[in-house]
Amino acid sequence: MSDATAQFFAQLGRHGHERLLRKTSGTIRFDLTRPGGVDHWLVTITHGQVRVSREKAAADAVIGADEQLFERMARGEVKPLPAWLRNDITAEGRFRFVLLLERLFDPPPGARHPRSVPPISREVR
Amino acid sequence: MTSDRIRILDGNIFVLSEDNGDIIDVRTNPCGFFELDTRFLSRWVLSVNGERLHPLAVHEPHYFEARFFLVPGTPTHYVDAKVSVIRERSIAGISFEERLTVLNHCPTAAEYVLHIEVDSDFAPVLAVEQRRVAPGRLYRRVEEGHLRLGYVRERFWRETTISADDPVEIDERGLTFRVRLDRNARWTTTLHVTGRVLRPDGEDVRNRLHRRRRPGRPELRRDLRRWLTNAPRLSCDWDTMTHTYQRSLVDLAGLRYSPLTLPTQAMPAAGLPWAATITGRDSVLTSLQALPVVPELAAATLRMLGIDQSTVLDDFREEEPGKILREFRYGEMAAFEEHPLSPYFGSADVTPLYVILLDEYERWTGDVDLVREFEAEARAALRWIDEYGDIRGDGYVWYQRRNERTGLVNQCWKDSPDAISYRDGRLPGQPRATCELQGYAYDAKRRGARLAREIWHDPAYADRLEREAAELKRRFNRDFWIADGEYYALALDGDGERVDALSSNIGHLLWSGIVDEARAGKIVEHLLGPALFSGWGVRTLGAGQGRYNPLGYHVGTVWPFDNALIAWGLRRYGYRREAGVIAEGIIAASAYFDGRMPEAFAGFDRELTRYPVRYPTANSPQALATGATFLLLRTLLGLEPYGEYLVVAPEVPARFGRIELLDIPGRWGRMDAIGTVHPGARTSPVA
Repeated sequence: MSDATAQFFAQLGRHGHERLLRKTSGTIRFDLTRPGGVDHWLVTITHGQVRVSREKAAADAVIGADEQLFERMARGEVKPLPAWLRNDITAEGRFRFVLLLERLFDPPPGARHPRSVPPISREVR
Repeated sequence: MTSDRIRILDGNIFVLSEDNGDIIDVRTNPCGFFELDTRFLSRWVLSVNGERLHPLAVHEPHYFEARFFLVPGTPTHYVDAKVSVIRERSIAGISFEERLTVLNHCPTAAEYVLHIEVDSDFAPVLAVEQRRVAPGRLYRRVEEGHLRLGYVRERFWRETTISADDPVEIDERGLTFRVRLDRNARWTTTLHVTGRVLRPDGEDVRNRLHRRRRPGRPELRRDLRRWLTNAPRLSCDWDTMTHTYQRSLVDLAGLRYSPLTLPTQAMPAAGLPWAATITGRDSVLTSLQALPVVPELAAATLRMLGIDQSTVLDDFREEEPGKILREFRYGEMAAFEEHPLSPYFGSADVTPLYVILLDEYERWTGDVDLVREFEAEARAALRWIDEYGDIRGDGYVWYQRRNERTGLVNQCWKDSPDAISYRDGRLPGQPRATCELQGYAYDAKRRGARLAREIWHDPAYADRLEREAAELKRRFNRDFWIADGEYYALALDGDGERVDALSSNIGHLLWSGIVDEARAGKIVEHLLGPALFSGWGVRTLGAGQGRYNPLGYHVGTVWPFDNALIAWGLRRYGYRREAGVIAEGIIAASAYFDGRMPEAFAGFDRELTRYPVRYPTANSPQALATGATFLLLRTLLGLEPYGEYLVVAPEVPARFGRIELLDIPGRWGRMDAIGTVHPGARTSPVA
């Protein structure tokens, strides 16, 4: 497994994620493919609190991805839903946890607050 | 133009064909078998002995099945067919099924060659009108007993399989049956067409997700019967009203859709053919309109949209934390991000509307659990209004796209590029704050305050929201009012100047309650005056405005749902007779569409055309328009939840006669509402 992946899960396990709601509970297993094997990570969410373990246990949803692509998702560079539509990741189990993935990952880099966008002037005739 | 199509549907799966059942790809009038935003069949043409078939009769018993009675050739003044064909088509589970029956009318035995030409372009539904060159690879494969058509782009994979119950010759272009029939004999076979969304390992992605099996035809029939039995029963002296109500119930049943996220619940999809998918605005407003007949649609809508609420900033998708999505697409263009629809958040109205629906839903049903469960989402939505909607920091809700390539210029319900203009036709800069968005924000804050006080037990928050709402109303009436025209501006432009076109948007303001009591009379005069009122309903843009066009999608046509909200607003301010005039006009128009309320129709004067002219590319059925029937009824009967009771205060125009709506579901259990014409009432002049 790569350092970035290990770091991501370590961080997730320590700090959880503030974008998860308190009412959220469930398990997501990540099956991450790397040269030479597959790593399994189990993310257990209990009332918005996150615990991470390395086991191949049954889960509400199982996400299969190439480790490199996973890292890009974790950094917010690739969105999980279009990646699923493209078959770049696979999903099994309960689909609502696929929607939840984004809340575990970093927000997209470089996004602007609407207030920071320069206004455009009206059409002149 | 989509009007002459024969359509069968079940939520996000549908077949559009010509009136003989053939599917022939015509760019401007799409036909096909569609599912999950993809066209799985673009050609499906039946011939007998080399001759195409002509319909003698078409029967559509339910929304998911149709029957075509056909003869070869083009009939001249009489039909002398030696053979006839019955095509019975249905949506069955995840497949489209077609039962073919050939009837030999010859006095002797005869041989028939039936051929079905088959093809698919796997076009994303939003691209079927364009000349798009598919970037992926199409393939056809003949296999034992079936034909396989497929499309692959990188790992993206879609496939259509076609098979028959009887021996058939299959080649890459279609299926051929050779049938020998005795005198007066008949022959039948069934064809199956299945669209598949495949993973790289060749399995359908949906097989690996928890979901309910899609119902087959007998279950669909049972379910439709149950749906109709559970809905309130309407009887009305005006047959058009009764017929349109029945049709609307059936259309709404057909538009129900269980998203992958909520496999056991159903929310309304927006419409056919362009929007058979999850949408924010259409689902929220349809569920709101349908509360008096099917309150459970609102619960599914609130859940689905709440689960998908944004938590991040994203320029491409126009996302901000707390925002409710605009639409979600499953097609190729969404997958490869040629457009931002997976999901897209570019609309400024859905987020406040979400809070409005949550409140109205609880008022009808008393389902406080759902309001508690979605407290965080509702608070985040209310926070969005102030933090991300208020782009200029002046207390209004604005929009300006950050996705300048594929984002929408207008992020309100009138989302076509020319919809928001000055009186002289110029287009304003960005950001823009359309007036109805301010009304929604005002209403959302007031309703949020009620929820905070009564259900979340947070009186301080409730006080704050109420203060903000009052302040917004005061400011709005100062900044949006156009003194010389005596109406509210369509919008403010990026410089804070009034965008001064006269539009139907001012009617939504009555619904929201943001109009100063003293000014309501003037607004009503405009809404029912010659510039806005066509005789059938209120035009989206006033006649005489620079960009007015009676056939312009958002700049002159009449939209039933827009009118239903306006009528409800008129009622709120006490203009009951005027609400009745609008209800009568829209219901009268629906008669020309056989009770299927159209998305929009032309804004020509009723006097000029005598009948409503359909907007050419409108969705049909369209959920918003379908819902309008129910909201108009609610308005006519004056149905209003009051604590644990349903208040009924009818004001019925003479044309309707007596209206009885029985067994209206809500927190009161079931209640009846009966409205009769006021003895002194006269038929209104537009009738």
